[in-house]
Amino acid sequence: MDILLGIRTQNEVLLITSRSLARGISVLKSDDVKVLECNKHTALAFSGEPGDTTNFVEFIRANVRLYGFQNKQELTTHAVASYARKELATSLRSRKPYQVNILVAGHNGTPELHWIDYLGTNVTLPYAAHGYASYYVLSTLDRWWTETLTLEEGLELARKCIDELEKRMPIDFKGCNIHVVDQNGVRLHE
Amino acid sequence: MSNPSEINGGSAVAMIGKDCVAIACDLRLGLQSVTVSGDFEKIFQYGGNFVAFTGLATDVQTVSTELRQKHALYEMVEERSMEPNTAAHLVSSMLYSRRFAPWFVGPLVAGINSTTGEPYVCSFDSIGSMDVSHDFVVTGTATNQLYGMAESLYEKDMSPEQLFETISQTLLCAADRDAITGSGGLVYVIEKNGKVTKKLLKSRQD
Amino acid sequence: MSRFNPYGDSSGGSSLAIAGADFAILAGDTRHSTGFSIDSRDQSQIADLGDGLFLTSNGFSADAKQLVDDLRTQIKWYHHNNNDHKLSISAAARTTMMLLYGKRFFPYYVNPIMIGMADDGTGAVYSFDPLGSYDREPSRAAGHASELLMPFLDNQVTFANQLDPQTGEPRKRLDLDLQTAVDLVKDAFTGAAERQVQVGDTLEIVILTKDGVDRQYYDLRRD
Repeated sequence: MDILLGIRTQNEVLLITSRSLARGISVLKSDDVKVLECNKHTALAFSGEPGDTTNFVEFIRANVRLYGFQNKQELTTHAVASYARKELATSLRSRKPYQVNILVAGHNGTPELHWIDYLGTNVTLPYAAHGYASYYVLSTLDRWWTETLTLEEGLELARKCIDELEKRMPIDFKGCNIHVVDQNGVRLHE
Repeated sequence: MSNPSEINGGSAVAMIGKDCVAIACDLRLGLQSVTVSGDFEKIFQYGGNFVAFTGLATDVQTVSTELRQKHALYEMVEERSMEPNTAAHLVSSMLYSRRFAPWFVGPLVAGINSTTGEPYVCSFDSIGSMDVSHDFVVTGTATNQLYGMAESLYEKDMSPEQLFETISQTLLCAADRDAITGSGGLVYVIEKNGKVTKKLLKSRQD
Repeated sequence: MSRFNPYGDSSGGSSLAIAGADFAILAGDTRHSTGFSIDSRDQSQIADLGDGLFLTSNGFSADAKQLVDDLRTQIKWYHHNNNDHKLSISAAARTTMMLLYGKRFFPYYVNPIMIGMADDGTGAVYSFDPLGSYDREPSRAAGHASELLMPFLDNQVTFANQLDPQTGEPRKRLDLDLQTAVDLVKDAFTGAAERQVQVGDTLEIVILTKDGVDRQYYDLRRD
């Protein structure tokens, strides 16, 4: 299972995603990026059924951008999250539902993080995790997260989580990418 | 836990008092045993009507938003506010329209009729069967626990203050005996004069 | 041809126990049912084991009866071997555990509750799971209405979620007096009988004090 973490700090949101891309018993890629820039200030991190994932997030990105072009007004992070949720919720009762879990991170004046699972459950959280990684990191985040984390403190907390995952996860996930979403947009850290 | 109604957990209860009603829910949202959020409110306000949805969280969000749209449309077309019994029938028909692929929700409606001044509470099953009660209604994964508490603590004609205490103790103690209900509570007390009090309850976080 | 199932679903309704500083109460309804059929409206489910010990075992009633027989045999042998020495409740509880765990791989399908007076004169309630895991507790409910009864006992016996109006701190536990406890039992069962179809008819209450045993009966709804 891929690692998908999100941490909201005072002025930004961090997205931590594993770099390995594995199929069956083989690692196909050790520099995979599981984060997509949706619009200037909104990023999507995704995991789940291969194929479904890219198809879904690219579909969301395309429609979010189309909306931006047509209305000369970009969707807010909240709106992107609501839109993605609705697509997942609708898909759930179709013949073949999307099996995609996402984190929507954005910055519209204030940083914002949404946790959305494949069922279409959308919740706004200070920190979030999908999949098996959540069993390892949620307690660490419960203990150390505060409302007033600086970027450096946020990265330090991310480090704590990654260290724990490297120690306890039975598979080698080839390290993590850390994306930072702040008022300047989305960027890959380091 | 392949039962869709028990994946996310959560419970709600509503009670009638003297010229008042109260409705309460827990705040937990989980995935099986893992708590994802501790501030997932399950009570939604539609004018003077308060509707709690428990069950599958994605359906809670879908149905509550769809009801918001239908409620707004009703008030625009009818040019009057919606009464609680009307809201209840609306919820019922929404659920029954999905008779063969149901929304996995267990709603409660609470409110006070603006013309008669009568308090109103009603519960539903997932396909819209209505159960209008003259005392209290419960729903969610802690249904049995809530029934046990409410059945023994409830009295007729309680004041808003007594009603708040009763519904809070009912919710809190029921939640403590259900592993997937809890992480705090939320209580609305609605009075005949239009006064609405919203209070958050602290509770065990395990 | 389906395989024979050694377990059935015939069972007593529900039972409940409260321990006090100088008393113990064990109560159970007298309805006995199989599925939705009522077998009897006056079937006591409280067994007098002698030595001031009382037991209910909710679950499958044939197993419950067998457990009572096993325990009576054990107590009889204890008397033979120990010059009629009275079996203490702590020893009786351990014996119950031994009997239950002895059938670890073909368990008695029961949730027993035992009451008695402890060596220090306090009222004792011991509860068990079907495999013998047990503990001494302030109160316990078992049977069809256990989910309805238990949160109420938490709230009224151990004051769970209650705050002291003066200090705002959690309300201090105090030992209930006998009358309050008996009233609680009646309230709890009236409520449970209201919502659980397998519970009703009559409530039988056994009250244990240093002076002896008192039995009370109280009407519940009969539908």
